[in-house]
Amino acid sequence: MSRSTNDEVDVVIVGAGAAGSLHAAVLAAAGRSVVVFEGGPPRKLGDLYSSQLWARRLKWTSPAASDVGADGAGVSFNGGHGYGGAAIHHYAVWPRLHAADFRMASDHGRGLDWPIDYDTLRPFYDRVQADVGVAGDATQEKWRPPGVAYPLPPIPAFAQAQAIARGFAARGLTTAPLPVAILTEAYNGRPACLMDGWCDAGCPTGALANPLVTYIPRALKAGAEFRANAHVTRVLMDAAGNRAIGVEYVGTDGARQVQRARAVVLAAFAIETPRILFNSATGKHAGGLGNASGLLGSYLMAHPSISVFGMFDQDMQNYLGPTGGQLLNQDHFAKDATPGALGSRQWMIAQALKPNDLLGIAMSRPDIIGPALDPFMRKAARGLGNMVALCEPLPDSANRVSLGAGRDAHGLPLAQVTHRYGNDAKALIAAAADEGAAIMRAAGASENWRSPIAGQHLMGGCVMGRDSVSSVTDSLGRLHDVPNLIVAGPSLFPTASAVNPTFTVHALALRSAEALVRDWSQFG
Amino acid sequence: MKAGALTIACLVAGKVVRISPAEAHALAAAPQVLLPHEAETLGHLAEAMVPGARAAGIAEYVDSQLFADPSESLLIARYFGVLPPFCEFYTSGFAGLDAAAKSAHGKPFAALAAEPALTLAASLLAGPPPGWAGPPAPLFYLALRGDAVDVVYGTQAGFEMLGVPYMEHILPPRRW
Repeated sequence: MSRSTNDEVDVVIVGAGAAGSLHAAVLAAAGRSVVVFEGGPPRKLGDLYSSQLWARRLKWTSPAASDVGADGAGVSFNGGHGYGGAAIHHYAVWPRLHAADFRMASDHGRGLDWPIDYDTLRPFYDRVQADVGVAGDATQEKWRPPGVAYPLPPIPAFAQAQAIARGFAARGLTTAPLPVAILTEAYNGRPACLMDGWCDAGCPTGALANPLVTYIPRALKAGAEFRANAHVTRVLMDAAGNRAIGVEYVGTDGARQVQRARAVVLAAFAIETPRILFNSATGKHAGGLGNASGLLGSYLMAHPSISVFGMFDQDMQNYLGPTGGQLLNQDHFAKDATPGALGSRQWMIAQALKPNDLLGIAMSRPDIIGPALDPFMRKAARGLGNMVALCEPLPDSANRVSLGAGRDAHGLPLAQVTHRYGNDAKALIAAAADEGAAIMRAAGASENWRSPIAGQHLMGGCVMGRDSVSSVTDSLGRLHDVPNLIVAGPSLFPTASAVNPTFTVHALALRSAEALVRDWSQFG
Repeated sequence: MKAGALTIACLVAGKVVRISPAEAHALAAAPQVLLPHEAETLGHLAEAMVPGARAAGIAEYVDSQLFADPSESLLIARYFGVLPPFCEFYTSGFAGLDAAAKSAHGKPFAALAAEPALTLAASLLAGPPPGWAGPPAPLFYLALRGDAVDVVYGTQAGFEMLGVPYMEHILPPRRW
């Protein structure tokens, strides 16, 4: 379907990433007229060059957001730009949230509760994994919450994974194949992965479930229209301030235009979604749309993580496998499993390495320069092993997206991100660092070391909850005070757990989109 | 030059050509953004950090990326929270480096011998050396070291040098 005008449509979706494209596919298939606005370029599989340098063009740079506070949240590295959004360069590690993740406040008196439980989301996890193809071993993954077994056999464990797994076993710890949305066999017309470690640069074969091969094609086939390089500046409200009536956007010609719609889905990721809501303030919503609680932008979370490295004498085949790793450990996932800290943690083991880039071989030892560097690089290219500890950040209302002093090219305030890690997160990281060193020693590493703390993933900022006093949206992502304005994506997470968020983003989006179809009479 | 090798647009003898950073260096391509002294300082710093970076065309590579639209830039600085445009980050860092070199040795950084250049470069990771005025010194260190690693080890030739299979799906295009 192609339109040359901005006549009213059923649904406008802002953002062509994982959540936005899934919404577009479901809504268009149900017969709704859908227009998707994407601020970045119209990427295609042929743009995904195998190069860590080129991969940087997939990350978010504009409109810029300043990353202030004691601990940066990794705004650029974690964000996306163009069709596919952040999911185009995600590593497709797809564990599920656990049941306890949904009731932190009830169980521990800290953090937040989700307005739904695991059993509510479980069927959507099951359906999404069957839809896009997830590889793993549900039996070996003893920590896994209930659900249908994975549709695909697990990824192989190469020498690096086997060596580090021996360290886990020697310490009495368990490993299981990492659950990944990467095909290990041909599935639904897509080919199996070649295990060559280019996930970060985007997967042009279609083996990894990025939106270019999952929900964008389905949305297009069902008639959704995608408009690239079209930056949405604000959501427009009716005169009474009760309903969204469309969006204002700036297209390639630089002119502000209006697209009217009966419902608006904001799926512009963790920074731009709250920024658009702030910039959409009206007389009735002076603090921004959805901000009756004063919590719009609050509870931004990034997973605190470290890499633990070990140097081995054997050939680790560390260039093989997915970028996200080959094995999983969640032995310390229970919220109280780490003394002195509240929160979960998990290990992702044996990431495929490239020589350069933020997570590459050279950056593992940033202190080595000069004549010592090349011998290190040659040794590490064969013998370096690594694993990543992902820990849970408790939601903190002081960690937030707000409007900063700068303005974008259209004169609208830019976002400012304020973020720091709490004491629990730091204690989880410290425990992981000690445990990781012991594992590497037990695995036979001649030396081991760890990276500084880095922020992985961005979540929160428009958290869902049971009421407008303590949250921005309901469990379907609908703003409490503007029900035809729906937030989708990781912005909704009230807690972050210690698992990668993209599987949950998909499950929530499927639930939200189908509810919109079901309840359409309220919107149309 | 290998198919798919890193290429950049350079000004050589008054004409724009698409060549590799190493070729641009060999042909003494004129920088488009950096001043000649800044390019010289960049080359000296990168060479001290990652031997081979100067001949691999580090100055020409960074200059070409500073000339590009920030959203198209390949500089690793964007991962470190450096906001576009990135030029100020680099040029103020070079100025800081010169000030520190003059404070310690009485001459600009590009005039330092290899050993004092390496010592001063290494000190940046711990914090600003005496005389430094510029972006956070550890951040500048990480970004510049990352750039140098990119041009020496991040290309097909760099992988080959380390014996790492490149296993590309799609090679980067010749036109950068």
